[in-house]
Amino acid sequence: MKKTGFLFDERYLLHDTGSYHPEVPARLQAVYQGIKEAGLLSELTLIHARLSDLKWIEAVHDKEYIKRFEMACLTGNSTFDCPDNQICPATYETALLAVGGILDATRLVMNAEIDNAFCAVRPPGHHAEINKAMGFCYFNNVAIAARYLQKEWGIKRAGIVDFDVHHGNGTQHIFEDDPTVFYYSIHQHPSFAYPGTGREFEEGEGAGLGFTKNSPVLPGKGDKEYKRLIKRDLFPAFESFKPEVIIVSTGFDSHVDDDMSDIKLSTEAFSWIIKSLVEMADKYSNKRLISILEGGYSLKRLPELAKNHVEILLNHK
Amino acid sequence: MFVSKSMTKKVITINKDADIFEAKEKMAEHRIRHLPVVTRDYHLIGIVSDRDIRSAMPSKALSDYNSKKMRAKIAKLKIKDIMTIDPVSISPLHTIQDALVIIQKIRVGAFPVVDEKGKLRGIISVRDLLRAFINVIGIEDPGILMCIVVEEKLGQMKKIVDAITEERISFGSIMVARCWDEGKRAVFPYLLTQNITSLKRKFQKMGYEVLDPMKWYIDQMPKND
Repeated sequence: MKKTGFLFDERYLLHDTGSYHPEVPARLQAVYQGIKEAGLLSELTLIHARLSDLKWIEAVHDKEYIKRFEMACLTGNSTFDCPDNQICPATYETALLAVGGILDATRLVMNAEIDNAFCAVRPPGHHAEINKAMGFCYFNNVAIAARYLQKEWGIKRAGIVDFDVHHGNGTQHIFEDDPTVFYYSIHQHPSFAYPGTGREFEEGEGAGLGFTKNSPVLPGKGDKEYKRLIKRDLFPAFESFKPEVIIVSTGFDSHVDDDMSDIKLSTEAFSWIIKSLVEMADKYSNKRLISILEGGYSLKRLPELAKNHVEILLNHK
Repeated sequence: MFVSKSMTKKVITINKDADIFEAKEKMAEHRIRHLPVVTRDYHLIGIVSDRDIRSAMPSKALSDYNSKKMRAKIAKLKIKDIMTIDPVSISPLHTIQDALVIIQKIRVGAFPVVDEKGKLRGIISVRDLLRAFINVIGIEDPGILMCIVVEEKLGQMKKIVDAITEERISFGSIMVARCWDEGKRAVFPYLLTQNITSLKRKFQKMGYEVLDPMKWYIDQMPKND
Protein backbone atom coordinates (compact mmCIF):
# COMPACT_ATOMS: atom_id res chain seq x y z
CA MET A 1 0.00 0.00 0.00
CA LYS A 2 1.17 3.50 -0.70
CA LYS A 3 0.58 6.63 1.34
CA THR A 4 -1.77 8.73 -0.79
CA GLY A 5 -2.94 12.25 -0.12
CA PHE A 6 -6.41 13.41 -1.18
CA LEU A 7 -7.02 17.14 -1.61
CA PHE A 8 -10.65 18.18 -1.50
CA ASP A 9 -12.40 21.20 -0.03
CA GLU A 10 -16.07 22.19 0.06
CA ARG A 11 -15.01 25.70 -0.87
CA TYR A 12 -14.11 24.48 -4.37
CA LEU A 13 -17.85 24.16 -4.94
CA LEU A 14 -18.30 27.92 -4.51
CA HIS A 15 -17.03 28.75 -8.02
CA ASP A 16 -20.38 29.14 -9.74
CA THR A 17 -20.41 28.89 -13.53
CA GLY A 18 -24.14 29.47 -14.02
CA SER A 19 -26.85 27.18 -15.35
CA TYR A 20 -25.65 26.28 -18.84
CA HIS A 21 -22.04 25.41 -18.21
CA PRO A 22 -20.51 21.93 -18.08
CA GLU A 23 -17.83 22.80 -15.49
CA VAL A 24 -20.14 22.57 -12.48
CA PRO A 25 -19.65 21.96 -8.74
CA ALA A 26 -21.57 18.68 -9.14
CA ARG A 27 -18.53 17.23 -10.94
CA LEU A 28 -16.43 17.55 -7.82
CA GLN A 29 -19.20 16.19 -5.66
CA ALA A 30 -19.42 13.17 -7.96
CA VAL A 31 -15.66 12.62 -7.62
CA TYR A 32 -15.82 12.92 -3.84
CA GLN A 33 -18.86 10.62 -3.52
CA GLY A 34 -17.16 7.96 -5.63
CA ILE A 35 -14.15 7.94 -3.32
CA LYS A 36 -16.22 8.16 -0.12
CA GLU A 37 -18.67 5.43 -1.03
CA ALA A 38 -15.83 3.05 -1.82
CA GLY A 39 -14.74 3.48 1.81
CA LEU A 40 -11.40 4.96 0.76
CA LEU A 41 -11.40 8.15 2.86
CA SER A 42 -10.05 6.41 5.95
CA GLU A 43 -7.03 5.14 3.99
CA LEU A 44 -6.15 8.54 2.55
CA THR A 45 -4.26 11.46 4.05
CA LEU A 46 -6.90 14.18 3.77
CA ILE A 47 -5.65 17.58 2.70
CA HIS A 48 -7.69 20.76 2.92
CA ALA A 49 -7.26 23.88 0.89
CA ARG A 50 -5.63 27.09 1.96
CA LEU A 51 -5.06 30.32 0.07
CA SER A 52 -1.87 30.27 -1.94
CA ASP A 53 0.77 32.90 -1.37
CA LEU A 54 0.58 35.26 -4.39
CA LYS A 55 4.29 34.79 -5.03
CA TRP A 56 3.61 31.30 -6.43
CA ILE A 57 0.91 32.54 -8.76
CA GLU A 58 3.33 35.26 -9.89
CA ALA A 59 5.91 32.59 -10.63
CA VAL A 60 3.79 31.75 -13.68
CA HIS A 61 1.28 34.54 -14.37
CA ASP A 62 1.76 38.25 -15.01
CA LYS A 63 1.00 40.47 -11.99
CA GLU A 64 -1.31 42.55 -14.15
CA TYR A 65 -3.30 39.48 -15.19
CA ILE A 66 -3.76 38.42 -11.56
CA LYS A 67 -5.05 41.88 -10.64
CA ARG A 68 -7.40 41.93 -13.64
CA PHE A 69 -8.84 38.58 -12.58
CA GLU A 70 -9.36 39.74 -9.01
CA MET A 71 -11.03 42.94 -10.20
CA ALA A 72 -13.34 41.07 -12.58
CA CYS A 73 -14.61 38.95 -9.69
CA LEU A 74 -14.91 41.89 -7.30
CA THR A 75 -16.84 43.97 -9.84
CA GLY A 76 -19.34 41.16 -10.30
CA ASN A 77 -18.62 40.43 -13.98
CA SER A 78 -20.11 37.22 -15.31
CA THR A 79 -17.25 36.24 -17.62
CA PHE A 80 -13.51 36.85 -17.70
CA ASP A 81 -11.36 37.02 -20.85
CA CYS A 82 -13.67 34.83 -22.92
CA PRO A 83 -17.32 33.73 -22.89
CA ASP A 84 -16.41 30.16 -21.85
CA ASN A 85 -14.92 31.48 -18.61
CA GLN A 86 -17.95 32.14 -16.41
CA ILE A 87 -17.11 33.64 -13.03
CA CYS A 88 -18.83 34.66 -9.81
CA PRO A 89 -17.50 36.80 -6.93
CA ALA A 90 -16.00 33.69 -5.23
CA THR A 91 -14.05 32.51 -8.28
CA TYR A 92 -10.78 34.35 -7.61
CA GLU A 93 -10.56 33.03 -4.07
CA THR A 94 -11.51 29.51 -5.17
CA ALA A 95 -8.71 29.59 -7.72
CA LEU A 96 -6.26 30.68 -4.99
CA LEU A 97 -7.51 27.86 -2.77
CA ALA A 98 -6.96 25.35 -5.55
CA VAL A 99 -3.34 26.40 -5.95
CA GLY A 100 -2.76 26.57 -2.19
CA GLY A 101 -4.09 23.05 -1.65
CA ILE A 102 -2.01 21.69 -4.52
CA LEU A 103 1.16 23.28 -3.15
CA ASP A 104 0.48 21.70 0.25
CA ALA A 105 -0.03 18.31 -1.38
CA THR A 106 3.23 18.81 -3.29
CA ARG A 107 5.09 19.73 -0.12
CA LEU A 108 3.85 16.58 1.62
CA VAL A 109 5.05 14.47 -1.29
CA MET A 110 8.48 16.13 -1.32
CA ASN A 111 8.78 15.69 2.45
CA ALA A 112 8.01 12.00 1.91
CA GLU A 113 5.04 12.24 4.27
CA ILE A 114 3.00 10.80 1.40
CA ASP A 115 4.08 8.98 -1.77
CA ASN A 116 1.56 10.52 -4.13
CA ALA A 117 -1.60 12.62 -4.13
CA PHE A 118 -4.86 13.20 -5.97
CA CYS A 119 -5.99 16.84 -5.98
CA ALA A 120 -9.73 17.12 -6.70
CA VAL A 121 -9.87 20.82 -7.48
CA ARG A 122 -11.89 23.40 -9.32
CA PRO A 123 -11.40 25.45 -11.39
CA PRO A 124 -9.11 23.49 -13.75
CA GLY A 125 -5.85 25.01 -15.00
CA HIS A 126 -4.13 23.63 -18.08
CA HIS A 127 -5.59 26.06 -20.65
CA ALA A 128 -4.61 29.15 -18.62
CA GLU A 129 -1.80 31.12 -20.27
CA ILE A 130 0.60 33.54 -18.59
CA ASN A 131 -1.77 36.45 -19.16
CA LYS A 132 -5.00 34.96 -20.47
CA ALA A 133 -7.82 32.91 -19.01
CA MET A 134 -9.50 30.40 -21.33
CA GLY A 135 -11.19 27.02 -21.51
CA PHE A 136 -12.68 27.25 -17.99
CA CYS A 137 -9.16 27.79 -16.54
CA TYR A 138 -7.78 30.79 -14.61
CA PHE A 139 -4.55 29.85 -12.83
CA ASN A 140 -2.45 27.11 -14.36
CA ASN A 141 -2.41 24.79 -11.34
CA VAL A 142 -0.01 22.24 -12.83
CA ALA A 143 2.44 24.87 -14.09
CA ILE A 144 2.49 26.57 -10.71
CA ALA A 145 3.19 23.23 -9.01
CA ALA A 146 6.09 22.63 -11.40
CA ARG A 147 7.57 26.10 -10.78
CA TYR A 148 7.17 25.56 -7.02
CA LEU A 149 9.09 22.30 -7.32
CA GLN A 150 11.85 24.02 -9.27
CA LYS A 151 12.22 27.03 -7.00
CA GLU A 152 11.46 25.65 -3.55
CA TRP A 153 12.74 22.10 -3.92
CA GLY A 154 15.46 22.52 -6.52
CA ILE A 155 13.91 19.95 -8.85
CA LYS A 156 15.93 19.77 -12.07
CA ARG A 157 13.68 17.44 -14.06
CA ALA A 158 9.90 17.66 -13.67
CA GLY A 159 7.75 15.50 -15.94
CA ILE A 160 4.20 16.65 -16.75
CA VAL A 161 1.75 14.17 -18.29
CA ASP A 162 -1.55 15.64 -19.49
CA PHE A 163 -4.19 13.10 -20.46
CA ASP A 164 -7.18 15.44 -20.43
CA VAL A 165 -8.82 15.13 -23.85
CA HIS A 166 -8.01 18.78 -24.65
CA HIS A 167 -4.45 19.89 -25.31
CA GLY A 168 -2.96 21.84 -22.38
CA ASN A 169 -1.92 24.87 -24.43
CA GLY A 170 -1.18 26.93 -21.31
CA THR A 171 1.13 24.40 -19.73
CA GLN A 172 2.93 23.71 -22.99
CA HIS A 173 3.52 27.40 -23.73
CA ILE A 174 4.71 28.17 -20.21
CA PHE A 175 7.47 25.53 -20.43
CA GLU A 176 8.02 25.62 -24.18
CA ASP A 177 11.64 26.78 -23.91
CA ASP A 178 12.44 25.09 -20.59
CA PRO A 179 14.48 21.88 -20.85
CA THR A 180 13.99 21.11 -17.16
CA VAL A 181 10.26 20.47 -17.56
CA PHE A 182 9.07 17.80 -19.99
CA TYR A 183 5.50 18.34 -21.15
CA TYR A 184 3.65 15.38 -22.66
CA SER A 185 0.03 15.56 -23.81
CA ILE A 186 -2.33 13.08 -25.45
CA HIS A 187 -5.53 14.69 -26.70
CA GLN A 188 -8.08 14.87 -29.48
CA HIS A 189 -6.52 16.08 -32.71
CA PRO A 190 -6.40 19.92 -32.86
CA SER A 191 -8.13 20.04 -36.23
CA PHE A 192 -11.18 18.51 -34.56
CA ALA A 193 -11.09 19.83 -31.00
CA TYR A 194 -10.51 22.77 -28.71
CA PRO A 195 -8.09 24.53 -28.36
CA GLY A 196 -6.62 23.79 -31.78
CA THR A 197 -3.04 23.33 -30.57
CA GLY A 198 -0.95 20.27 -29.78
CA ARG A 199 0.17 19.12 -33.20
CA GLU A 200 2.85 16.48 -33.54
CA PHE A 201 5.37 18.99 -34.80
CA GLU A 202 5.19 21.09 -31.62
CA GLU A 203 8.24 19.78 -29.79
CA GLY A 204 9.49 22.76 -27.84
CA GLU A 205 11.42 25.93 -28.68
CA GLY A 206 15.01 27.00 -28.29
CA ALA A 207 16.60 25.31 -25.31
CA GLY A 208 13.34 23.46 -24.72
CA LEU A 209 13.36 21.74 -28.12
CA GLY A 210 12.85 18.04 -27.53
CA PHE A 211 11.18 18.51 -24.15
CA THR A 212 7.60 18.75 -25.40
CA LYS A 213 5.76 15.85 -27.00
CA ASN A 214 2.23 15.73 -28.35
CA SER A 215 0.15 12.71 -29.34
CA PRO A 216 -2.93 13.97 -31.21
CA VAL A 217 -5.71 11.36 -31.55
CA LEU A 218 -8.30 11.34 -34.32
CA PRO A 219 -12.00 11.47 -33.34
CA GLY A 220 -13.65 8.10 -32.80
CA LYS A 221 -10.49 6.40 -31.55
CA GLY A 222 -10.25 4.69 -28.15
CA ASP A 223 -8.26 2.37 -25.94
CA LYS A 224 -6.12 0.71 -28.59
CA GLU A 225 -4.92 3.98 -30.09
CA TYR A 226 -4.26 5.58 -26.70
CA LYS A 227 -2.18 2.64 -25.51
CA ARG A 228 -0.25 2.54 -28.79
CA LEU A 229 0.59 6.24 -28.67
CA ILE A 230 1.48 6.36 -24.99
CA LYS A 231 3.80 3.38 -25.43
CA ARG A 232 5.32 4.87 -28.57
CA ASP A 233 5.64 8.49 -27.44
CA LEU A 234 5.61 8.80 -23.64
CA PHE A 235 7.45 5.73 -22.37
CA PRO A 236 10.70 6.29 -24.31
CA ALA A 237 10.60 10.03 -23.62
CA PHE A 238 10.44 9.51 -19.85
CA GLU A 239 12.94 6.66 -20.01
CA SER A 240 15.37 9.16 -21.43
CA PHE A 241 14.30 12.19 -19.35
CA LYS A 242 14.02 10.35 -16.00
CA PRO A 243 11.77 12.87 -14.21
CA GLU A 244 12.43 13.42 -10.52
CA VAL A 245 8.72 14.07 -9.96
CA ILE A 246 5.69 13.37 -12.17
CA ILE A 247 2.81 15.86 -12.23
CA VAL A 248 -0.35 14.67 -13.93
CA SER A 249 -3.08 16.78 -15.52
CA THR A 250 -5.88 14.26 -14.94
CA GLY A 251 -8.89 14.65 -17.21
CA PHE A 252 -11.68 12.13 -17.56
CA ASP A 253 -13.27 13.77 -20.58
CA SER A 254 -11.94 11.26 -23.09
CA HIS A 255 -14.39 8.70 -21.72
CA VAL A 256 -16.83 7.29 -24.29
CA ASP A 257 -19.75 8.60 -22.19
CA ASP A 258 -18.36 12.11 -21.87
CA ASP A 259 -19.98 14.52 -24.32
CA MET A 260 -17.07 16.92 -24.46
CA SER A 261 -15.08 14.92 -26.96
CA ASP A 262 -15.31 12.35 -29.74
CA ILE A 263 -12.79 10.03 -28.08
CA LYS A 264 -14.12 6.71 -26.83
CA LEU A 265 -12.01 5.53 -23.92
CA SER A 266 -13.36 2.82 -21.64
CA THR A 267 -13.25 3.04 -17.84
CA GLU A 268 -10.50 0.39 -17.84
CA ALA A 269 -8.31 2.49 -20.12
CA PHE A 270 -8.08 5.19 -17.48
CA SER A 271 -6.91 2.60 -14.98
CA TRP A 272 -4.25 1.47 -17.46
CA ILE A 273 -3.06 5.05 -17.92
CA ILE A 274 -2.67 5.92 -14.24
CA LYS A 275 -1.14 2.52 -13.50
CA SER A 276 1.51 3.15 -16.16
CA LEU A 277 2.23 6.57 -14.68
CA VAL A 278 2.53 5.16 -11.15
CA GLU A 279 4.95 2.53 -12.48
CA MET A 280 7.06 5.23 -14.08
CA ALA A 281 7.02 7.24 -10.87
CA ASP A 282 8.17 4.14 -8.99
CA LYS A 283 10.96 3.60 -11.51
CA TYR A 284 12.27 7.16 -12.01
CA SER A 285 10.81 9.49 -9.41
CA ASN A 286 11.05 7.71 -6.09
CA LYS A 287 7.24 7.11 -6.29
CA ARG A 288 6.57 10.88 -6.33
CA LEU A 289 3.45 11.65 -8.36
CA ILE A 290 0.92 14.47 -8.01
CA SER A 291 -2.34 14.01 -9.89
CA ILE A 292 -4.37 17.19 -10.43
CA LEU A 293 -7.93 17.20 -11.74
CA GLU A 294 -8.60 19.07 -14.98
CA GLY A 295 -11.70 18.08 -17.04
CA GLY A 296 -14.22 15.23 -16.96
CA TYR A 297 -17.89 16.06 -17.30
CA SER A 298 -19.91 12.84 -17.14
CA LEU A 299 -21.56 12.99 -13.71
CA LYS A 300 -22.55 9.35 -14.25
CA ARG A 301 -19.00 8.07 -14.78
CA LEU A 302 -16.96 10.34 -12.53
CA PRO A 303 -17.57 8.44 -9.26
CA GLU A 304 -16.21 5.15 -10.60
CA LEU A 305 -13.36 6.82 -12.50
CA ALA A 306 -12.28 8.72 -9.40
CA LYS A 307 -12.49 5.60 -7.22
CA ASN A 308 -10.37 3.56 -9.63
CA HIS A 309 -7.86 6.38 -9.92
CA VAL A 310 -7.37 6.63 -6.17
CA GLU A 311 -7.26 2.85 -5.66
CA ILE A 312 -4.38 2.65 -8.10
CA LEU A 313 -2.54 5.51 -6.39
CA LEU A 314 -2.99 3.64 -3.11
CA ASN A 315 -1.67 0.52 -4.82
CA HIS A 316 -4.67 -1.58 -3.83
CA LYS A 317 -4.34 -5.15 -5.02
CA MET B 1 -8.96 41.69 -50.40
CA PHE B 2 -6.52 43.26 -52.82
CA VAL B 3 -3.27 41.81 -54.06
CA SER B 4 -1.62 45.12 -53.19
CA LYS B 5 -2.24 44.42 -49.50
CA SER B 6 -0.94 40.83 -49.42
CA MET B 7 2.00 41.09 -51.80
CA THR B 8 5.64 41.48 -50.86
CA LYS B 9 6.67 44.99 -51.87
CA LYS B 10 10.45 44.68 -51.49
CA VAL B 11 11.21 42.51 -54.49
CA ILE B 12 14.66 41.14 -55.20
CA THR B 13 15.20 41.50 -58.92
CA ILE B 14 17.92 40.77 -61.45
CA ASN B 15 19.20 42.29 -64.65
CA LYS B 16 18.88 40.40 -67.95
CA ASP B 17 22.63 40.54 -68.53
CA ALA B 18 23.60 39.05 -65.18
CA ASP B 19 25.06 35.54 -65.17
CA ILE B 20 23.33 32.57 -63.61
CA PHE B 21 25.73 32.28 -60.68
CA GLU B 22 24.59 35.70 -59.58
CA ALA B 23 20.97 34.54 -59.77
CA LYS B 24 21.78 31.40 -57.81
CA GLU B 25 23.49 33.42 -55.07
CA LYS B 26 20.65 35.91 -54.82
CA MET B 27 18.09 33.14 -54.44
CA ALA B 28 20.15 31.38 -51.78
CA GLU B 29 20.88 34.56 -49.85
CA HIS B 30 17.25 35.71 -49.72
CA ARG B 31 15.72 32.21 -49.63
CA ILE B 32 13.44 32.85 -52.59
CA ARG B 33 12.67 30.87 -55.71
CA HIS B 34 11.69 33.55 -58.21
CA LEU B 35 13.56 36.57 -59.51
CA PRO B 36 11.68 39.07 -61.67
CA VAL B 37 13.86 40.42 -64.46
CA VAL B 38 13.52 44.19 -64.80
CA THR B 39 14.95 47.04 -66.83
CA ARG B 40 16.70 49.94 -65.25
CA ASP B 41 13.42 51.77 -64.77
CA TYR B 42 11.75 48.79 -63.25
CA HIS B 43 9.78 47.52 -66.20
CA LEU B 44 9.12 43.81 -66.00
CA ILE B 45 10.53 41.87 -68.96
CA GLY B 46 10.78 38.34 -67.62
CA ILE B 47 11.09 36.04 -64.67
CA VAL B 48 13.66 33.41 -63.73
CA SER B 49 12.92 30.62 -61.28
CA ASP B 50 15.16 28.19 -59.43
CA ARG B 51 13.94 25.53 -61.85
CA ASP B 52 15.32 27.52 -64.75
CA ILE B 53 18.64 27.72 -62.93
CA ARG B 54 18.72 24.02 -62.21
CA SER B 55 17.90 23.18 -65.82
CA ALA B 56 20.82 25.29 -66.96
CA MET B 57 23.32 23.61 -64.62
CA PRO B 58 25.15 20.49 -65.76
CA SER B 59 24.05 17.15 -64.40
CA LYS B 60 26.01 15.80 -61.43
CA ALA B 61 26.25 12.57 -63.41
CA LEU B 62 28.91 14.21 -65.58
CA SER B 63 32.40 13.71 -64.19
CA ASP B 64 33.47 17.27 -64.94
CA TYR B 65 30.26 18.98 -63.88
CA ASN B 66 32.08 21.29 -61.49
CA SER B 67 35.33 21.77 -63.35
CA LYS B 68 36.83 25.19 -64.09
CA LYS B 69 36.10 24.68 -67.78
CA MET B 70 32.48 23.79 -67.11
CA ARG B 71 32.01 26.74 -64.78
CA ALA B 72 33.43 29.10 -67.37
CA LYS B 73 30.96 27.73 -69.90
CA ILE B 74 28.03 28.23 -67.53
CA ALA B 75 29.17 31.73 -66.65
CA LYS B 76 28.68 32.68 -70.29
CA LEU B 77 24.95 31.97 -69.95
CA LYS B 78 23.02 35.08 -69.17
CA ILE B 79 19.65 35.49 -67.49
CA LYS B 80 18.14 36.61 -70.77
CA ASP B 81 19.02 33.16 -72.20
CA ILE B 82 17.11 31.17 -69.61
CA MET B 83 14.33 33.45 -68.34
CA THR B 84 10.63 33.20 -69.17
CA ILE B 85 9.84 36.21 -71.26
CA ASP B 86 6.65 38.14 -70.58
CA PRO B 87 5.51 36.04 -67.63
CA VAL B 88 1.99 35.85 -66.26
CA SER B 89 1.55 38.80 -63.98
CA ILE B 90 -1.24 40.27 -61.90
CA SER B 91 -2.33 43.80 -61.12
CA PRO B 92 -2.20 45.29 -57.62
CA LEU B 93 -5.91 45.95 -57.97
CA HIS B 94 -6.75 42.33 -58.56
CA THR B 95 -8.21 40.61 -55.55
CA ILE B 96 -6.67 37.71 -53.72
CA GLN B 97 -9.53 35.56 -54.98
CA ASP B 98 -8.41 36.44 -58.52
CA ALA B 99 -4.91 35.40 -57.55
CA LEU B 100 -6.23 32.09 -56.18
CA VAL B 101 -8.13 31.32 -59.38
CA ILE B 102 -5.09 32.04 -61.54
CA ILE B 103 -2.72 30.04 -59.36
CA GLN B 104 -5.12 27.07 -59.59
CA LYS B 105 -5.11 27.21 -63.37
CA ILE B 106 -1.49 28.05 -64.12
CA ARG B 107 0.97 26.04 -62.12
CA VAL B 108 3.30 28.69 -60.80
CA GLY B 109 4.31 29.42 -57.23
CA ALA B 110 4.46 33.19 -57.47
CA PHE B 111 3.38 36.12 -59.69
CA PRO B 112 5.01 39.42 -60.26
CA VAL B 113 2.57 42.27 -59.56
CA VAL B 114 2.70 44.85 -62.30
CA ASP B 115 0.83 48.15 -62.65
CA GLU B 116 -0.90 49.47 -65.77
CA LYS B 117 2.38 51.07 -66.90
CA GLY B 118 4.17 47.72 -66.80
CA LYS B 119 6.25 48.60 -63.76
CA LEU B 120 6.97 45.97 -61.12
CA ARG B 121 5.17 46.76 -57.85
CA GLY B 122 5.66 43.59 -55.89
CA ILE B 123 5.43 39.83 -55.94
CA ILE B 124 2.70 37.56 -54.56
CA SER B 125 3.30 33.92 -53.81
CA VAL B 126 1.25 30.94 -52.72
CA ARG B 127 2.64 31.56 -49.22
CA ASP B 128 1.18 35.09 -49.14
CA LEU B 129 -2.22 33.71 -50.17
CA LEU B 130 -2.05 31.00 -47.50
CA ARG B 131 -1.30 33.60 -44.88
CA ALA B 132 -4.29 35.69 -45.91
CA PHE B 133 -6.60 32.70 -45.77
CA ILE B 134 -5.25 31.34 -42.49
CA ASN B 135 -6.19 34.70 -41.05
CA VAL B 136 -9.70 34.43 -42.48
CA ILE B 137 -10.26 30.84 -41.37
CA GLY B 138 -9.01 31.63 -37.87
CA ILE B 139 -6.94 28.48 -37.38
CA GLU B 140 -4.81 30.24 -34.82
CA ASP B 141 -7.65 31.11 -32.42
CA PRO B 142 -8.64 28.44 -29.92
CA GLY B 143 -11.97 26.90 -30.86
CA ILE B 144 -13.84 23.97 -32.37
CA LEU B 145 -14.74 23.29 -36.00
CA MET B 146 -18.13 21.76 -36.63
CA CYS B 147 -19.67 20.38 -39.78
CA ILE B 148 -23.37 20.59 -40.58
CA VAL B 149 -24.80 19.23 -43.81
CA VAL B 150 -27.76 21.23 -45.07
CA GLU B 151 -29.98 21.28 -48.12
CA GLU B 152 -29.31 23.88 -50.77
CA LYS B 153 -32.28 26.01 -49.70
CA LEU B 154 -32.58 29.69 -48.95
CA GLY B 155 -32.48 30.59 -45.29
CA GLN B 156 -30.42 27.65 -43.99
CA MET B 157 -27.47 29.80 -43.00
CA LYS B 158 -29.65 32.14 -40.96
CA LYS B 159 -31.11 29.20 -39.01
CA ILE B 160 -27.61 27.92 -38.24
CA VAL B 161 -26.31 31.31 -37.18
CA ASP B 162 -29.40 31.94 -35.03
CA ALA B 163 -28.98 28.60 -33.28
CA ILE B 164 -25.34 29.39 -32.51
CA THR B 165 -26.17 32.90 -31.30
CA GLU B 166 -28.90 31.57 -29.00
CA GLU B 167 -26.28 29.42 -27.30
CA ARG B 168 -24.27 32.63 -26.79
CA ILE B 169 -21.29 31.21 -28.64
CA SER B 170 -18.83 33.40 -30.54
CA PHE B 171 -17.98 32.84 -34.19
CA GLY B 172 -14.40 32.54 -35.38
CA SER B 173 -15.37 32.03 -39.01
CA ILE B 174 -17.70 30.08 -41.28
CA MET B 175 -16.73 28.10 -44.33
CA VAL B 176 -19.13 26.58 -46.81
CA ALA B 177 -18.14 23.69 -49.02
CA ARG B 178 -20.38 24.03 -52.03
CA CYS B 179 -19.28 20.90 -53.82
CA TRP B 180 -20.93 18.31 -51.66
CA ASP B 181 -23.54 15.60 -52.26
CA GLU B 182 -26.38 16.28 -54.71
CA GLY B 183 -28.46 19.22 -53.53
CA LYS B 184 -26.48 19.59 -50.33
CA ARG B 185 -23.83 21.87 -48.85
CA ALA B 186 -21.56 21.44 -45.87
CA VAL B 187 -21.30 24.37 -43.50
CA PHE B 188 -18.22 24.54 -41.27
CA PRO B 189 -18.64 27.06 -38.45
CA TYR B 190 -15.47 27.62 -36.43
CA LEU B 191 -16.66 28.38 -32.90
CA LEU B 192 -14.63 30.07 -30.19
CA THR B 193 -15.66 27.82 -27.37
CA GLN B 194 -14.80 24.52 -25.78
CA ASN B 195 -18.37 23.48 -25.26
CA ILE B 196 -20.65 22.50 -28.15
CA THR B 197 -22.55 19.59 -26.63
CA SER B 198 -25.92 21.33 -26.36
CA LEU B 199 -25.41 23.04 -29.72
CA LYS B 200 -24.90 19.67 -31.41
CA ARG B 201 -28.16 18.42 -29.85
CA LYS B 202 -29.95 21.55 -31.01
CA PHE B 203 -28.86 21.03 -34.62
CA GLN B 204 -29.94 17.42 -34.52
CA LYS B 205 -33.37 18.46 -33.18
CA MET B 206 -33.61 20.96 -36.03
CA GLY B 207 -33.17 18.04 -38.42
CA TYR B 208 -29.65 18.88 -39.56
CA GLU B 209 -26.98 16.28 -40.01
CA VAL B 210 -24.03 16.99 -37.73
CA LEU B 211 -21.31 15.18 -39.56
CA ASP B 212 -18.79 12.87 -37.90
CA PRO B 213 -15.42 14.64 -38.19
CA MET B 214 -13.89 11.59 -39.84
CA LYS B 215 -16.32 12.04 -42.73
CA TRP B 216 -15.49 15.69 -43.44
CA TYR B 217 -14.17 16.18 -46.90
CA ILE B 218 -13.74 19.85 -47.75
CA ASP B 219 -11.70 19.24 -50.86
CA GLN B 220 -14.40 17.88 -53.18
CA MET B 221 -13.50 20.07 -56.17
CA PRO B 222 -12.22 18.15 -59.16
CA LYS B 223 -8.45 17.94 -59.06
CA ASN B 224 -6.30 18.60 -62.14
CA ASP B 225 -4.93 15.06 -61.98
